[in-house]
Amino acid sequence: MSYNQNRPYRGGRRRNRDDWDNNRRDAVESPEQRLKSAILKFGEVDAVEELPGLVKQIHAESTVVLPSSISEAFRIGVTEQPYKIPYYVALLRSLYDPSDVEGPPGAPPLARQILEDFWKGFQAYLDKLSWRDTRLCIHFFAHLTVAGIISADSMFGLLQSFTAVLDEFGVSHGRAKQAALCAAEGLMIAGQVLKQTSSSKVTDIMTAIQTYNDTTMTSRWIVLPLVHLHSTESNFHNVDELLDSLFLALKALDDSDFTENNYTYPQSYASFPALDSAEHPQFDLPSVLVPPEVIELDGLTNDDGEDVQVQKQEWPEYYIRLFDDEISPSPKTPLGYATRSTIVDVVDIFEVNRKECARLLLELPKWTSPGVFKPRPGAPAAEDPTPGPNWQLESSIIEVILGSLLVLPESSHKSLYYFGLITELCKLSPPTVGPAVGKSIRKLYTNLAEGLDVDVARRFAEWFAVHMSNFGFQWVWKEWIPDLSLDLQHPRRTYMRRAIEFEIRLAYHERIHKTLPPEMQDPASLTISEQPPGPNFEYDEAGTSLHNDPLVLVSLMLIPYADHVHHDAAQSVLNLLRGRAKPDDVIAELETLKSSLETSDTEHVDSVVRSIVVQSLLHIGARSFSHLLNAIERYLPLLRHIASAGVSSTGGSGNAEAKTDILTAAATFWRQNGQLVGIVFDKLMQYQIVDPTDVITWTFANGGAVSDRNQHSSKYMSMYEWDLVKGALDKANGRVMIARRKVTALRKEDDETRARANARVGETMEVDADGKADELPISENPQLTAALKAFATLTREQKAALSCTLEGFVGALTNPDQRVQVQQVVSAAEWETRETWNSEQWSAWETWGWYRNFCRMYSPYLRNYSTTLYTISLSRFEGSSDPVEQLLHKTWNIAMGVE
Amino acid sequence: MAHIVVPLDQPSNYKDSQSKVDRQKHTDLLAKSTTLYIGNLSFYTTEEQIYEIFSKCASSEDGGGIKRIIMGLDRNTRTPCGFCFVEYYTHAEALASMRYVSGTKLDERIIRCDLDLGYKEGRQFGRGKSGGQVRDEHRQDYDPGRGGWGAQAQRLEMERRREVEERYADAQDGAGAVAGGGDDWKDNSGSGVTDSKKRARSPDDDGEGRMGQRVRIDEDIEAERM
Repeated sequence: MSYNQNRPYRGGRRRNRDDWDNNRRDAVESPEQRLKSAILKFGEVDAVEELPGLVKQIHAESTVVLPSSISEAFRIGVTEQPYKIPYYVALLRSLYDPSDVEGPPGAPPLARQILEDFWKGFQAYLDKLSWRDTRLCIHFFAHLTVAGIISADSMFGLLQSFTAVLDEFGVSHGRAKQAALCAAEGLMIAGQVLKQTSSSKVTDIMTAIQTYNDTTMTSRWIVLPLVHLHSTESNFHNVDELLDSLFLALKALDDSDFTENNYTYPQSYASFPALDSAEHPQFDLPSVLVPPEVIELDGLTNDDGEDVQVQKQEWPEYYIRLFDDEISPSPKTPLGYATRSTIVDVVDIFEVNRKECARLLLELPKWTSPGVFKPRPGAPAAEDPTPGPNWQLESSIIEVILGSLLVLPESSHKSLYYFGLITELCKLSPPTVGPAVGKSIRKLYTNLAEGLDVDVARRFAEWFAVHMSNFGFQWVWKEWIPDLSLDLQHPRRTYMRRAIEFEIRLAYHERIHKTLPPEMQDPASLTISEQPPGPNFEYDEAGTSLHNDPLVLVSLMLIPYADHVHHDAAQSVLNLLRGRAKPDDVIAELETLKSSLETSDTEHVDSVVRSIVVQSLLHIGARSFSHLLNAIERYLPLLRHIASAGVSSTGGSGNAEAKTDILTAAATFWRQNGQLVGIVFDKLMQYQIVDPTDVITWTFANGGAVSDRNQHSSKYMSMYEWDLVKGALDKANGRVMIARRKVTALRKEDDETRARANARVGETMEVDADGKADELPISENPQLTAALKAFATLTREQKAALSCTLEGFVGALTNPDQRVQVQQVVSAAEWETRETWNSEQWSAWETWGWYRNFCRMYSPYLRNYSTTLYTISLSRFEGSSDPVEQLLHKTWNIAMGVE
Repeated sequence: MAHIVVPLDQPSNYKDSQSKVDRQKHTDLLAKSTTLYIGNLSFYTTEEQIYEIFSKCASSEDGGGIKRIIMGLDRNTRTPCGFCFVEYYTHAEALASMRYVSGTKLDERIIRCDLDLGYKEGRQFGRGKSGGQVRDEHRQDYDPGRGGWGAQAQRLEMERRREVEERYADAQDGAGAVAGGGDDWKDNSGSGVTDSKKRARSPDDDGEGRMGQRVRIDEDIEAERM
């Protein structure tokens, strides 16, 4: 048999591929592309060596390449490779020097043309409020000021336009923060020259930043990654707020009259002689105004006339420190601030390619002053250690990445980006990055007992699991064995359980079980279940094996375990579903079942029937996510039937009690598996069997009681319940988002249609006496009407979901049954004795944490309804002297920005 | 943006060799795609493991989420054969997966994501001669995660395998074999109960061998493994 016969599609494939390849772009570079690429690659080998050649090339090519193209390359270089900015300044400075290539007579020097065009690009960034680009261009201008190319006065003017933002009435924190960074970083770089020009203007800029920063104090407590519930103290020694650090670094520079600058910000252009001011007058930056933020108002309101536009809230930005100042840069020092902000910028810019980002981060020492980072082990040893902080590169990078990941309320990119970036760093240099990662994990783990925020702890556990899943699940669990003696709900214990649960989700039970030491495998330690987290069909004998599992035993004591009296009934339903009976036939069978149960003294017959149906349905869908979807889709009419409590064809929202039963049955079926409960709830909402509010109400009322993950029956909130509530809130919010987009799109379409129609009318009709063409009557667009109606329904649902969550938290934290614990954990004295806390106290503490997280995370949504929500749930605590009520009140007010 | 490096969310040269759309259309469709082709999976990896990692790229608050996962199955044995499709509700989520998940490990294998034109009936089955993927037809290496697990299999692995084999024994083909994942929210009030809708399907789509380019890319990925 010939090769070709073996692979009959070979010819086809060949032809197919050629078609595609032929369309590829021609590989020959134009002079413009060649020059741009040379500018972007400048300095990769040795900037000093490359400089004369590149200057020559630019001059030579300037006869065929426009200055605007050269300046574009500069702009990309500056905004995408900020570590090279001083070299680009050196490059521009060199272009001022005489060359053999004559420009057109009368034209300004090439360097000046480039700078003028660069300014236009800067203006464009500013107009778009593209803050990072704007700020990095300011770095470039500031260095040019030091190099004497830009006038100090105009540089002051530029910086002042940014401090002016800080005085705007009602300025958002996000905008103020960015403006402050622009002004302060510009000043830090150019301070030496600027202070010589006017020390009072320097003071003005600093005062403006400090004054603004002082106004942010009250809002800080809610975003602290380490929290003391009993105090608004925000000075933890291992967390740094961004603007605080910025100001302290700036102040340190100012105190030394910016003499350290050359080391803090390398000045690769410092050796160039000053320009001859007669031949090359200094460039004056034109004055600018920072444009106001554009908020596109679509005028959509909900039924109650509340504006429902979602505006992302920005908060003071806290970064956790994991290492000492000798190991990694402190952001409160000038060099530390500069170094960290470069890392932050690189992490941000190269989000599109984490692999390249990791490589560039490890190459950073190439661009920093000698002695900033410790030389790599194995590098040729210098005779004398270079003076400088000699920080550890890898620890510094990991600290900044984890700090960015753990910023509250949300990191600027998805968590997974930071996870992936750390993985790439580890792959590039395992022996140096690995230890830094290990130390970071230990440090964060230590912080768990010091009040590490619940959502920070959650992200930490998530990162841990994903990270380990990329490196063979190798963690030295045995060093945490002593902590098994801590209370079951101690944050370190919950952390271990969560991390293990997340690992299992990414792998499988046996795989993770075998990575643990015997002390943790021991079922009595309640760290990992003995069995894989499988389904539990309540009406099946197979379920009895569970009784051997202590994790389950705990919950069995708490929930009434069905004794299989309905085994036969359940089998009949299950067999129908297995045999793919028609939904109507199943519904008919349910009637028979119901009457037989009624005759057998069964209580809550409806609930039992619902539970049997839902569990049987999940049973046939238990094999995989797809099986679940298939089962649900096949039996949608059945699910709708039971969700509406048998009153079919009503559609709409169903019966609250019935939906509670459905959720209870689902949570019971998957009670060993939090992931599956989340998935089932998500799809039940997606298929509109239950609404987000049903899920939220159910979770606050029953969550802890059904799950095996939770060791208590009381109505506290743990991560498990929070995840369910969050899933429901996000669903409700996401639906409003989709509905809004739909309305906007339809309106636009409508406007265009009308404009076209009017244009036609205008062409054919006479203009009447008022000089106004008769407009076509506005016809109702039925699609738009429907979309607006849907929007109204969904915003109502959104508001209900938010309200329900707030009520749930207020209910949990003021529940008389747990009042003592809830109050204890907000007291300073109790906090000091937390090592003796029991499970109830730790659970109460965690509940506070999720409440605080809810308020800050959903504040953009909550603010739209704040008055109503406050009136319903919190107004009764106004002026209360009770510490619990005060904290409920205060947390809300800070999140709403009214305190 | 990004002139210095090539973004990871750019479409690669992966394409469904059976697709009949031209290059321009292909590019346009990918620019809106919400579906990913996931390759180099272990045969033992479950949908729930896939769900776990890919849900970390979901943005429910923006109207997104995982719509459905379609496990690639051996045409003959109906067992997973090392690929799947993950479908989101939004394009941005698919791009995030390209940037953050592609090239990382799932179940201890480096997996590969590619933007895909979207699932069509029949594409859930392997196109290799023996029922699995083409890449496994001619593969020379011993790969424990992809069927290369011989008699020395440990009891544990055998158990996992048996579970996996049973799981899809009921898999169907033809219309309605794969669930839709639920549509966007619809107003049901007043309109009575509507029946579940079957998705529109292309009648002429029948799967055949996945093409040579694919094998080449997979080999590149193998080379990347540590």
